[in-house]
Amino acid sequence: MSQLRQTQQAFMQYLLSAKSDNNLVDIRERVSDQKGISADHRLQIYANAYRIRLKETMETDHQILGQYLGDELFDKLAIEYLDAHPSSATSLRQFCDNLPAFLRTDDFFCQYPILADIAQFERLLLAAFDGAESTRADFTDLQTLAPELWPDCSLRFHPSLQMFSCKSNAVESWQALKAETAPDAPYYQQQRYWALWRNSERLTQFESLNQSQYVLLTGFIEGNDFAHQCEAMLNWYDEQAAPMMVLQTLQSWFSKGIIRELVIT
Amino acid sequence: MSEQKITQDFIGFGLGLRTDHFEYILQHQPAIDWFEVLSENYLVAGGKPRYYLEAIAEQYPVVMHGVSMSIGSTDPLDMDYLKSLKKLSNDINPKWISDHICWTSIHGVNSHDLLPLPYTEETVKHVAERVKIAQDVLGRRLLLENVSSYLSYKDSTMDEWDFLSQVAEEADCLILLDINNIYVSARNHFFNPLDYLNKIDPRRVQQFHLAGHSDYGEYVIDTHDHDVPPSVWTLYQAALERFGPISTMIERDANIPDFPVLYQELLEAQKIAELTLPGHPALSQSSLAPMGAISPMSTNEDLIQDPYQLPSKKVAV
Ligand SMILES: [Fe+2]
Repeated sequence: MSQLRQTQQAFMQYLLSAKSDNNLVDIRERVSDQKGISADHRLQIYANAYRIRLKETMETDHQILGQYLGDELFDKLAIEYLDAHPSSATSLRQFCDNLPAFLRTDDFFCQYPILADIAQFERLLLAAFDGAESTRADFTDLQTLAPELWPDCSLRFHPSLQMFSCKSNAVESWQALKAETAPDAPYYQQQRYWALWRNSERLTQFESLNQSQYVLLTGFIEGNDFAHQCEAMLNWYDEQAAPMMVLQTLQSWFSKGIIRELVIT
Repeated sequence: MSEQKITQDFIGFGLGLRTDHFEYILQHQPAIDWFEVLSENYLVAGGKPRYYLEAIAEQYPVVMHGVSMSIGSTDPLDMDYLKSLKKLSNDINPKWISDHICWTSIHGVNSHDLLPLPYTEETVKHVAERVKIAQDVLGRRLLLENVSSYLSYKDSTMDEWDFLSQVAEEADCLILLDINNIYVSARNHFFNPLDYLNKIDPRRVQQFHLAGHSDYGEYVIDTHDHDVPPSVWTLYQAALERFGPISTMIERDANIPDFPVLYQELLEAQKIAELTLPGHPALSQSSLAPMGAISPMSTNEDLIQDPYQLPSKKVAV
């Protein structure tokens, strides 16, 4: 292995576990003693910068989670997450992608499932923010479609659309902290559902859905057509009401700009 | 060695495009020559940042500046990253593309830092070879920027300026000279920053960076969170004397002030260039104009009430 590669490995090993002296020895042997500050101090500058930069990324991406946890627990989370998931992406944007899963599985943090829910919700907000741009369809596109074509009609959605579901009061807690008020204590009830997207003014929005709306939306996202989705709604509505419900819900989605286009299969 | 000019002509004075300033720029269309965009922020499919970038790139020249090429790493070059850079460059048509002469990742783990390389013959060959590949993918010459560093390696056999020069020569690439980084490294490694400037081939320098840093007395850290300090302005002047008018921008990545405050600082760069190279024809092409001076209607009183009245692009050009 080349000298250069050995140096880079030793340096990275040191950055990844700057606390352990074992990992200092190898890189320390390769660094010059110079005038001014010591070689150890010089290395320490890099170790600090590494940790600060990644922690700042967590703070920026997960501001509300940070407030929910408070400084002490957030520090603990940052240290442990950094150790468990060194960055493998070119952009810091992806650094926290594994944070919800980490919170869900870590021995300590998994005791509070709401934490993973809040983290997941914040990641979906970011995904909505970054999603690709596209045109948006209008309700009149459906109205002008011959009624006999409706049953075979399916939908394509705006790329920013994200679906979220959880059992905790994560979103309510997120909202409370965003409004600078104290969140309720965590509680866990029946499954709740949310849709998040970026609207035509480029603002990120979210909205709660009931179970039938959630099933309707996810079914359309999966590519099901109008006829299939009307049938799915029979679990909640009778034969007369189901198509009306679908139509009304679609109308509101069109007006919110989450439907990109109609597709006739 | 061919005497043919390989650098692009001076394009004036620019600033880094920062999220905080998106709205301001579109609304006020300030009279600025160009923007430098951080490539990694726009490699996503779309969304708000891309929307603003495309709108701004339609109105101003832009250059792309990256931090993740890891050109000095011994991992294989990240072809997906290079291709995504190429795609972004097709979309926004930058004047040029730059990254740093450093390494950032190994074994697929990214430090997200600009880590120093040992200055050896081996490293020169290694880096130059990779620059050539990157240039082939990007279809143009790359600009390599000198980084701030806090340590040096025992196995280095040459000075940083010789290392940078040799890589640039062997890879036939261009140089982005960060004046602040030269100052920071000079303080940390006790060399004379003028030695650095005097060893760099003027034929290859296409851009300057200016920035502020944090001075801890015994050492200096490149933080980009302060105004450009007098020490860096002085070195900038020396760089202008050696290299002539070079497209210059100020980097600010933390503690970011309002756009007009940065604009004021950029005017300082312009002023120093005019004082150092009086009457140089290239400098007169800049669209920068002193704040408040563009409106013949404005009185001193207006200026006091609104100290940040910026010349807009349309008026000043
Ligand atoms: Fe720089």
